[in-house]
Amino acid sequence: MKGSAGEFKAKQDGSPFGDSSFLVTAAHEMKAPLALVRQLALSLEAGNVTQSDQERMFRQIVLVSERALRLTTDLSRSSRLEDSLFELEPLNPQQICEEVAHELFPLYAARGREIRVASHYRPILAVANRDLLRRILLNFGDNALHYADSDAPVELRTATSFRGSKIRLGVRDYGPAIPADMWRRLHVHLGTDTQVLHSRPQSSGLGLYVAGQFAQAMSGAIGATRHRDGATFYVDLAASTQLSLL
Amino acid sequence: MTKAPFVLIVEDDQWLAEQLARTLMGAGIRSELATHALGAIDMIDANPPDAIVLDVLLAGPNAFTLLHELQSHADLASIPVILCTNSADQLAGEDIAAYGVRQVLDKATMVPDDLVVAIKKALL
Repeated sequence: MKGSAGEFKAKQDGSPFGDSSFLVTAAHEMKAPLALVRQLALSLEAGNVTQSDQERMFRQIVLVSERALRLTTDLSRSSRLEDSLFELEPLNPQQICEEVAHELFPLYAARGREIRVASHYRPILAVANRDLLRRILLNFGDNALHYADSDAPVELRTATSFRGSKIRLGVRDYGPAIPADMWRRLHVHLGTDTQVLHSRPQSSGLGLYVAGQFAQAMSGAIGATRHRDGATFYVDLAASTQLSLL
Repeated sequence: MTKAPFVLIVEDDQWLAEQLARTLMGAGIRSELATHALGAIDMIDANPPDAIVLDVLLAGPNAFTLLHELQSHADLASIPVILCTNSADQLAGEDIAAYGVRQVLDKATMVPDDLVVAIKKALL
């Protein structure tokens, strides 16, 4: 998710990207993984690579391709959001976090990194679409892998907010503090007091923009909290009232 | 016996950085990796390289922060820099010439040996 956050054009059709800009940004997002896969393949083709390096490079090609495919699926899903109805159901946020951590584990492990889920006793259910929620958290997890310090684990967390009416699912990473002026640039004000997060410094923000769209389709919102030693990217969703009706 | 050239690779994609280092090692060129510009500045202070391979869009301060820093120190300003980027088509030659940039490699079109050739040319 690289690019310049300062290059965003004025909002058009609810997107920080203009129509052509969206295509350019999406193309740029795909360029990095494709360029890496190509370099690895060229080296393998040329030979003179040790057996262990060869195995490592094949594994990297698979994981980078999978990550790029996730992005293309997100983009195509995002473009069809308005035409689709997404079934919302009460979901256990802790379980979703476990599933996402499990899915990202191979990518993290291949980079010598750790991803884990903070334990939460009897979490309140969130009203969400399972697929969209997973995609949002996968996106945050990918983002954290790129920006966090290599020796610190990335953690998925759940919490209640807004006096229990919302469930917050977040991905906490640890890394260099983002300067305040850069952080301000990450936020784009929408109307009233709502702040929608679009990207980190040097990020095109495309992945987070798509995550924001997925959240909106579930009547939720994404955001971020800046810490002295990193950041938490989160999605707020309505808490299920199902249990209180029993 | 001549000492093997030493190159600092500044690249925030760990796997691409490894790939570049592997390519250089195959040509007998030693390298170290920095994942961001601030770390690179510390490493250059501690052990000035013979050349720098630099990505443009980095997490945190970008390549131009590092290029400015290099140009502000007389003893570092002459270190040749090879930009290795996915944004090669967006860089104007006149904008980067003043920063000691010897060559721009496009990650999307370069072949591994292009890096070795660029480094050897820069060290001539």
